[in-house]
Amino acid sequence: MWWQSHSAQRKTFGYTLLAPAALYVLLLVGAPFLFSLWLAVSDANVGDPVAHFVGLENFRAAWEMDTFWIAFRNSVVFLVVAAIFKGLLGTSLAFLLLQNFRGKKLIRGLVVIPFTLPIAISVLSWKWMYDSQFSVINWVLSRAGLIGSYGSESWPVWLGQPHLALAACIAVNVWRTFPFSAIVLLAGFTAIPLEVLDAAKVDGCTFFQRFRHIVTPMIFPILMIGFLFDTVFTLSDLSVVYLLTQGGPANASKILPVLAYQIGIQAGNLGRGAAIALFLVPLLLPALILVLRNIKRREW
Amino acid sequence: MSVSQPALTPSTVSRRRFLTVAGAGVTTSALLTMLDARQAPAQIKGTTLRILQWSHFIPAYDAWFDNKFVKDWGDKNGVKVRVDHIPHLELPARMAAEFAAGAGHDIIMNGSSILTRLYYKSLADVSDIYDSIGKKRGGWIPTAKPLVEVEGKQYGIPMFYILLPMLYRKDLFDANNLKAPDTWELARVAARTLKPKGHPTGIQFSQCADANLNWRSVLFSFGGAETDPSGENILIDSKETREALRFAKALFDEGMTPEVFSWDDASDNRFLASGVGCWIHDAISAYRTTEDTNPDVFKNTYIGMEPAGPGGKRVSTSAANVYMIWKFSKNQPAAKEFLVHFMEEFKDGMVQSRGYNMPYLLGDAQKPMPIIGSDPKMQILQDFPKIVAFYGYPGPFTTPVQEVVNLFVLPDMFTRVARGQSVDDVMKWGVGEYQRIFSKHKRA
Repeated sequence: MWWQSHSAQRKTFGYTLLAPAALYVLLLVGAPFLFSLWLAVSDANVGDPVAHFVGLENFRAAWEMDTFWIAFRNSVVFLVVAAIFKGLLGTSLAFLLLQNFRGKKLIRGLVVIPFTLPIAISVLSWKWMYDSQFSVINWVLSRAGLIGSYGSESWPVWLGQPHLALAACIAVNVWRTFPFSAIVLLAGFTAIPLEVLDAAKVDGCTFFQRFRHIVTPMIFPILMIGFLFDTVFTLSDLSVVYLLTQGGPANASKILPVLAYQIGIQAGNLGRGAAIALFLVPLLLPALILVLRNIKRREW
Repeated sequence: MSVSQPALTPSTVSRRRFLTVAGAGVTTSALLTMLDARQAPAQIKGTTLRILQWSHFIPAYDAWFDNKFVKDWGDKNGVKVRVDHIPHLELPARMAAEFAAGAGHDIIMNGSSILTRLYYKSLADVSDIYDSIGKKRGGWIPTAKPLVEVEGKQYGIPMFYILLPMLYRKDLFDANNLKAPDTWELARVAARTLKPKGHPTGIQFSQCADANLNWRSVLFSFGGAETDPSGENILIDSKETREALRFAKALFDEGMTPEVFSWDDASDNRFLASGVGCWIHDAISAYRTTEDTNPDVFKNTYIGMEPAGPGGKRVSTSAANVYMIWKFSKNQPAAKEFLVHFMEEFKDGMVQSRGYNMPYLLGDAQKPMPIIGSDPKMQILQDFPKIVAFYGYPGPFTTPVQEVVNLFVLPDMFTRVARGQSVDDVMKWGVGEYQRIFSKHKRA
């Protein structure tokens, strides 16, 4: 019988090994996602166990919100700016960690601390560093003569001035997660054959030429996977903004996850909260398709 | 157990049903009798009671509550009590989680965001103890009932509210021949005078609980209103609201620094304790923080009455705190017994909170009140119960008001004006937000 054949047995064994991971994804990702789709088209609220289908009413309500569009724009800005800085800093750090120097192992351990610290602890520490009165950043800058003293016009209110508030949140997000980018890139860099790089050096290629024409194409799949993970983590990052500014001042730093939380959980309207959260999908989906297509093309 | 008496008709009553209903009636009346006589019902002995509440801003209160008050009550009644504390901002999320799970604590606290109207179908009807407590303690203040009443029944027990009075530096005022900030205009004059001397004032222009409370006090004292007494109609679009917004803009320009745009609920406490602030409008946790951390500033810090608006009106928007019992609680008798005990011993709590917890019961609001009645600087707080209001004033704290509060619509209106947007544009935006939120809830 065909199911007794060797290839069928191999396939069965393979799928059996994959099954736990598939089950995990289905239960912890798939099921909640399907549930949120249902919530988004229902009038579910926190106090009522019964929800009724309302079609696209929640999406229409979100569309009409002034705050929704502010949060949408902020989310895109957050994603793009954070990705640029994480790319630059992650790449720089990866190259630094590639070098041989004393204490390399210790430094490699230290640089991942921001990523491994519980987010609440690290963000609250930053909140103190950004404090309007007791900011250590401001005190250092003031002592260095770069800004005025407390209360002066040049004293930055990191979490109180609209552009600075979003920038401050982005900075914390970048600080937390660029080590992850560096580690991913480091894994890619170490996989590049040294002979290829040596040959390029002999041929007279500069550092940037080697990076552009040799390193980047060779680590492209890893780069894309790292970019994908980073996009997902950044877009869904509620904690940084929630703990630092709650989306203020006057929604200047509000992003979609924070808005979804405030409406869905704090205001109790689960349906509208879910609909707002689902607007992240059209932002994530193009990135996902772009990455997977590019990786697939390179496999050919 | 909640008290519901279904209608009985002779033709439909089975023996089982008769016994069930009669048994419930006997149990309830026995419970009330025992509560009146201050006897613990036998059925709560040997049970466990779980309470979820906030981490009090006066840490000594939590230490007393957990280690003495509930322990003594538990030991006396044979009930094992467990108290869990979480930050007040996390209470709505925790409540949503427990509701979704259908399990959790027996008693859950709401602070600032009072979610009675969202969850009442899943909360125990506590009208019996609400009425009995009120009768025994001189009645409730008028603004208590709308917090917990839905369709004529009470689904929570108001525990205490938190005032946000004026806290001002009398030494700075005296040195500059300034009158005490008895009106908002006097407060503005003081800020304008003292800011150039390094002592500005500050009220949060940000998305935090204090901003929701403070700017409502200004608005309501200026004669503005949020909803009508029915809670159905928005009253925010008024000339009084515009005046309040203009006042806030002037107060910011003349008396504050931009740091107020980044403040959270604790920033003004630190501002006062640092010695910089000339006045703040905040709960007396700020007064107590200053007492503990900066005695020199503390001795010159005085508490003032809620400032009056241009028409002489004073309204102090306070943070309400309510205890509720889940319907899924397996120990409702113990929960009710505990709440009755808590309200009867309210004065102890007031002492332990160092005057922070203010009473809803008129009997507990008689002068002299504990702590605040004997402290010359705090005696003025005894006059606040007459002017206390909550979100939605003069209407109740409804679900649309809940959303308005959680989206910080009113603080955003004041922030936009302070940042330079015209009052007309801000009114258009703010009223639009209110209307959008209210109409969505009406559609639902």
